[in-house]
Amino acid sequence: MRKWLTRLLLIALLALGLFTLRSFQQAPLHHSQSYVFGTLVDISIVGETDERAAVLSNHILRDFQQLHQQLHAWKTDKQGKPSELGKLNSAFAQGNAPINLSLQLANMLEDAQALSSQSQGLFNPAIGHLISHWGFHKDEFAAIEIDEAKIASLVKDKPSMADIVIKNHTAYSNNPQVKLDLGGYAKGYALDMAAHYLRQQQVNNALINIGGNIIAIGKNGDKPWRVGIQHPRNPSAIATLDLDDGWAIGTSGDYQRYFMRNSKRYCHIIDPRNGYPVQHTQAVTVLIPPHNKAGVLSDVASKPIFIAAPADKPQAAAKLGITHFMVIDAESNVVITQAMAKKLNWSDANFEKNHHVRVIHTD
Amino acid sequence: MFASFTQIKNSITHLRIGDWLVIAISSVLVVYLFQHLWSHEHAAKVQIRVGDKVHATYDLNLARHVQVTGALGEAVIHIAHGKARFAKSPCHNQYCVHQGWLNHSGQAAICLPNQISLELIGEKKPYDTLNY
Repeated sequence: MRKWLTRLLLIALLALGLFTLRSFQQAPLHHSQSYVFGTLVDISIVGETDERAAVLSNHILRDFQQLHQQLHAWKTDKQGKPSELGKLNSAFAQGNAPINLSLQLANMLEDAQALSSQSQGLFNPAIGHLISHWGFHKDEFAAIEIDEAKIASLVKDKPSMADIVIKNHTAYSNNPQVKLDLGGYAKGYALDMAAHYLRQQQVNNALINIGGNIIAIGKNGDKPWRVGIQHPRNPSAIATLDLDDGWAIGTSGDYQRYFMRNSKRYCHIIDPRNGYPVQHTQAVTVLIPPHNKAGVLSDVASKPIFIAAPADKPQAAAKLGITHFMVIDAESNVVITQAMAKKLNWSDANFEKNHHVRVIHTD
Repeated sequence: MFASFTQIKNSITHLRIGDWLVIAISSVLVVYLFQHLWSHEHAAKVQIRVGDKVHATYDLNLARHVQVTGALGEAVIHIAHGKARFAKSPCHNQYCVHQGWLNHSGQAAICLPNQISLELIGEKKPYDTLNY
């Protein structure tokens, strides 16, 4: 009997030893951070040598820089030349003579047109003039004087993605008031581009985060990649979830770019129907299953849901085929789909007890 | 006062089944509790990054004021009693300063215009990256 117990003790010790050993045998993680697209880009690569991971990360960052310069909505390059998007916008403003554009930009615009129409115009990258009027086309923006007449006239111009005609590598706009701002599309496009590149390079495990939009490849060692979701009002995570291979996550929030005026918050997400920043919602998070455009959808799909009135949010999600989403309203109450709730672990004690949380069914 | 080696040897040989059981169960319990309760919550260090480089990593329990020069200019970071915060920043909107004190592992404050970030690091990361 005593022998048997000694063995038990030995087994317990062995288990402890194995556990300790395992924690030292984690696959190497290479982590790099950089500032592109006016935000933080964070790339983690697991299971590659440090040298290879650094080369891959740098390649991705160079691609991002290039895309950023190509699509910048208001800056010119070092020689004072506008971006490819800037040139297109000037041409649109001057009339409807077609101008040449790259195949890459043509594909992006066609995709954005389809998504805009699918969202019934709530995702509308053609409202650059409105965004600019609200002062968000600056690195350092400030509270503006609200010019109701000007906003009304910018809305009345009805700039829409459907005004743009793309044919044989050229484009023109039937509405001179169209000004493209791909701020709600480019980061998602960049995620897909980087994920595609890494898979091509046979990288099996990586995590890419562009300003909070994230796509996962493989796992982090023997565990899935774990993502924290930012609380819109506190500097902490409201919840965590595991992002499996190929999944992407994106959030639109009123706390990323905003200004305060008479103690009211004006965020950068503007309702194209009335021209005003949305004030009924703090954050919308969407989770996108594996798909060759998961990144784009993680960036785009949160916008129409954010902009739609609280009662219309489920329909806005359904139009884009989104089943996993979470809304945090102006009073910090949570509405979450059952599919999303299943994947989420609350970090916040109140939410864990399901206070201020309403679960909805989307099927 | 002190038990001699023979005495210890004797007492071990005289341990009964119950004693062994207590030893075995308590060892397993200690290992289990250590794994699960060893405080992961409170962070131990703060990592300051400037642009794409790690600028420095500081112990959170040693109070200090750190001056860091970012893309716009000099920011001041306060560290004290297991917490860290942006105290001063040359950026326009001051989001980073308004974030206030960070004290849990995994929390981060990022100043995009000045390209400086703070990240609290603990025994264990509660998540690999942050969605915002």
